[in-house]
Amino acid sequence: MRHLLATGAVGAVLLLGSAGTASAQSCATSVGAVLSITGSMAAIGSAIGDAGKLAVDHFNEAGGVNDCTVRYILRDDQGSPNVGVDAAKTLVEIEKVPVLLGAIQSGVSMPILSSVTVPAKVTQISCCSSAPSFTALSAEGGTQGYWFRTLPTDRPQAAVLASIAAERGYKKIAIIHVNSDYGNSLAGSFKKDVEKLGATVTSVTAYNQEQASYRAEVNAALQGEPEALFLVAFPADGATVTREWISFGGPQKFIFSNALRADEFVNSVGAQYLTEAFGIDNAQVEGESVDAFNKSWEATFGAAPNGPGLHTMYDAAAVALLAMEQAGKADGTAIRDNIRKVTGGEGEPVYPGAEGFKKAKQLIAEGKPIRYVGATGPLEFDENGDVTGPYLIWGVKDGALVTLDKWDNARVGGALAAVEN
Amino acid sequence: MLQALADGILSGSIIALGAIGLTLTMGILRFANFAHAELVTWGAYMALAVLAVTGTFMGPIAPLSFGIPLILAIVVAAALTSLLALAIDWLVYRPLRRQTNHLTLVFGSFGISLLVRMVILLIFGGAAQYYSTALQIAIPVAPGLRIMPDQLFTLAVTVVIVVALHFFLQKTRLGLAMRALAENPELARVNGIDTRAVVRWTWVIGASLAAVAGVLYGLTIQLRPEIGFHLILPLFAAVILGGVGNVFGAVIGGLVIGLAESLAVLVVPSGYKMAVPFLILLAVLYLRPTGIFAGTVGGVK
Repeated sequence: MRHLLATGAVGAVLLLGSAGTASAQSCATSVGAVLSITGSMAAIGSAIGDAGKLAVDHFNEAGGVNDCTVRYILRDDQGSPNVGVDAAKTLVEIEKVPVLLGAIQSGVSMPILSSVTVPAKVTQISCCSSAPSFTALSAEGGTQGYWFRTLPTDRPQAAVLASIAAERGYKKIAIIHVNSDYGNSLAGSFKKDVEKLGATVTSVTAYNQEQASYRAEVNAALQGEPEALFLVAFPADGATVTREWISFGGPQKFIFSNALRADEFVNSVGAQYLTEAFGIDNAQVEGESVDAFNKSWEATFGAAPNGPGLHTMYDAAAVALLAMEQAGKADGTAIRDNIRKVTGGEGEPVYPGAEGFKKAKQLIAEGKPIRYVGATGPLEFDENGDVTGPYLIWGVKDGALVTLDKWDNARVGGALAAVEN
Repeated sequence: MLQALADGILSGSIIALGAIGLTLTMGILRFANFAHAELVTWGAYMALAVLAVTGTFMGPIAPLSFGIPLILAIVVAAALTSLLALAIDWLVYRPLRRQTNHLTLVFGSFGISLLVRMVILLIFGGAAQYYSTALQIAIPVAPGLRIMPDQLFTLAVTVVIVVALHFFLQKTRLGLAMRALAENPELARVNGIDTRAVVRWTWVIGASLAAVAGVLYGLTIQLRPEIGFHLILPLFAAVILGGVGNVFGAVIGGLVIGLAESLAVLVVPSGYKMAVPFLILLAVLYLRPTGIFAGTVGGVK
C-alpha cells in the first residue's frame, strides 16, 4: 500500500506541469469532456474546455484524486449530435472514464445521455445545456440520476426576457431560433410567456445550424412587420442571422438568448447596431469563491473570465472530482451518489483553486463533511440534477458587453409567477 | 416572394461559380474531387490574409463595402489557390492517377479536403471572420425587395466570368484542347495535345474560380473554416443537375439549387429547406439521368 501511495505521489509530482504526460508507473484517473471546439459554438467552446482543464490542473496540484493523477481528455463534438455521441462512446468504452463533462448544446447532451452515459452508468455533468427537457426526462426516471448540470434551466430565462420585453413595450415580436432542444424549448416558452403578458408573436422561424446564409429565414421572420426580434442562437450563426436581419431593414431591437453573450458575436455584428439590444445570461454570484476562480483564471490565461460556460464548466469538473475523492473510487455510480454529499448540506465550505481542493482532500481524509462553494457560488442539486441561480441582463455599450441589470432568485421567481398563473 | 427569388439567384450564383470549377475538373480529370470545396475555403482565407497584409487603404468604393484591396486580394487569392491545387495534383493525384482505380482518387480527395480544412483551422482559428465588419444595409429597390450592393457585385462577377469562360472554351486553342481531352483523352493525345499542360490549366481555372467563389461568399456571408464542407453537397448537386462537364449546366444547376433553397422556406418549415434541392435533383435524375444538359464540354463516360 505504501508503495502504491508513493508511486501515486511521484506521478502527481511529475504531472504538476502538464497533465497528459503520465509516466508508466503512475496511476491515473480519467475525466472525459465532450465540447464544441469547432462548429457553431467554436467561439466559446475552447475557452470552456480550458475551464475544465483548469479545474483538473488545480486538483492535480492539490495531489490528484484518491492519490491518482487526473487525466483530462477533451473531445470535439463539432456541434453535431452524431460526432458528440461517437466522442462520448470512445471516452466511455475505450478510455473508461467514470464521468463525462458536457456537452455544450442540449441537442448534443441529450443523445449522449440517453445512448451512452446512462446505459454505461457513467455520470454526466453539463456546464451549458439548459433545455428543460432534461428535467422532464429526469423526473420520469430516464436518467437514473446520472445527469447533473451546473447552470440553471432556461425555463426562467423565457419568463425574465418576456417580462423585460413587456416593460419595454414590445407588442409585435418575431422569433428566430436554432432548431434544437435548446432553441425549440426556449422559443416555445418565450412565446407562451410574452403572449400571456399581452404581446403578439408575429412568426416563429426555426433555422438549422451551420448554413451558408439565413436570408430565407430572416425574410420569413420579417413578414408581419415585427417591432423586435427574439433570437435564440449560438454566436457564429447568430451573427449571420443578426447581420442579415439588419441588412434587410429589420428593426434594430433585439432580445438575445444566453449563448449570444460573446465578444465574438458583438464584434461580428458590429456594436453600433446593438445599442438597443438586451440579452440574458446566468449571473455571476459575487463572493469569495467566485473571486478565487476569477483570480486563478486571470493568473493562468492573462484575461478576465468573460464568456458563457467558464464558471459552470469549472464547477462541473470540480464537483465530479470532489465526488470521486469523497467516494474513494472513480466509478460512475459512486460519483453520482457522492455529488450531493460534497455540495449541499452543512459541511465546511471549500473554494475553487488548488488550495481549496487541498483543504477539501484533507477534510475528506479526516472524515469531515465538506460543502463545495464554486465559481458560480453555492451549488445545490435538486432531485433532477438541476441547480437554481440568479440571472443578469446584458447589453452592448461603447462597443463592449455590459451588464444592464441583475435578477436575484426572488425577482426571477416573481417573473415566473407572473407568466404561470 | 420577390425577395426570395432575388436571394435565390444571388446565393445560386456563388454556388454556380464553385460548380463551374468542379464540373471542369470532373469532366476533364474524370474523378469526383471532394477537395474542390476546400479550395473555396482556401481562396476565401487567402484573400483575408492578403487584406491583413495590405490593410484597407483608399477606403471602400461607394456603395460597395470594399475597395481596391479586396479586388487585389481576389487576384492574389486565385493565384495562391491555383498553386495549392497544382501542389495537391503533383503530390497526391498525379501518383494516384497512374492507378486505374478512380475510387482511390476520390478517397484521396476526401483526405486532402480534411487536411486543408484542418490547416485553415490551425492558422486562422474556428471563429467566424469578415473582410469588413462594417455592415452593409440593403437598399430597397422595389416594394418587398431589398438588395445589397455587394450582392449585385457578386452577380455581375459571376456573369462576366461565365461569359468569359464560354468564349475561352469555344474560341481559344487551350479551350479547344480542354474540350478535346474531356471528349476523348486517347484521341487528344494522338493529336499532339500536351495533356499534362491541359490538366495543369484545368486546375488553375478550377481553383481560381473556386477562390473567387470563396471571396464572394466571405464578402456576402462570412468566413468560416467549414465553408467548403457546407458547400460540398450543393456544389455536387449543381454539377450533377447540370450535367457533368457542362459549364452552362453548372451555372443553371447552381441557380436551381439556390432558388430551391430560398423558395422552399415559403412552402415547407425552414428546418427542412436543405432537403428541397435534393428532391429536385432526384426528380431531374429520374427523368434525365445525365442531368439537364448532357455534357457538351465533355462528360464522364
